[in-house]
Amino acid sequence: MKNRLKVLRAERDWSQAELAGRLDVSRQAVNAIETGKHDPSLPLAFRISRLFEMPIEDIFDDGETA
Amino acid sequence: MTKDLSPGEARTRQRNRREIITYAFAGVIGMVLGAVTVLADKGSGDLFFGQWETMVFDPTIAVILAVTIVLGFIALPFWSFTVIDELVRERNLIGYTGGGMIVMGGAPAWAVLHSGGLVPAPSVAGVWALGFFSTMIVFAIAWIRSR
Repeated sequence: MKNRLKVLRAERDWSQAELAGRLDVSRQAVNAIETGKHDPSLPLAFRISRLFEMPIEDIFDDGETA
Repeated sequence: MTKDLSPGEARTRQRNRREIITYAFAGVIGMVLGAVTVLADKGSGDLFFGQWETMVFDPTIAVILAVTIVLGFIALPFWSFTVIDELVRERNLIGYTGGGMIVMGGAPAWAVLHSGGLVPAPSVAGVWALGFFSTMIVFAIAWIRSR
């Protein structure tokens, strides 16, 4: 699943470790999500959505959107 | 200068501390098992090298060892699922699932190969080793693929 996490993180000048701390996950988890190797759980997707104050579908793209 | 931690960062640090405690506890369990089996075995077996049929323990020691093993190999991994984050949890689940599937298919395949005279007879320790090492290998593959 594609996502804009890396861009959103860069816009705020956060490191992966800093974002991981804010999301309560490991830095490796942030890296795996950014590179598309791990799809976050729904609770984590909601935490990401709340942190960036954006709807989930504006952050993640499952390729099904018309 | 002390940096103020966000709640998430504090929880991450707490989770890291718990992970270290878990590994330390697992190490202690391993050392206790090793020491007790070496000191208390009245037979000629070896728990760590698969010579299980020739181990002889007093019933009390056997119960203590069994409880320790259950704590180390069942309770501790289950508890660890509550302190690791979702990526690591996913890797662990893939590892345990792969290990379980390989044992379910591998043990009867081993028995059939033995009946054809191709390999030694299946042993309890051998089946355990099959499960343990296949779990480690599948976990490593999951870890590499998600990096």
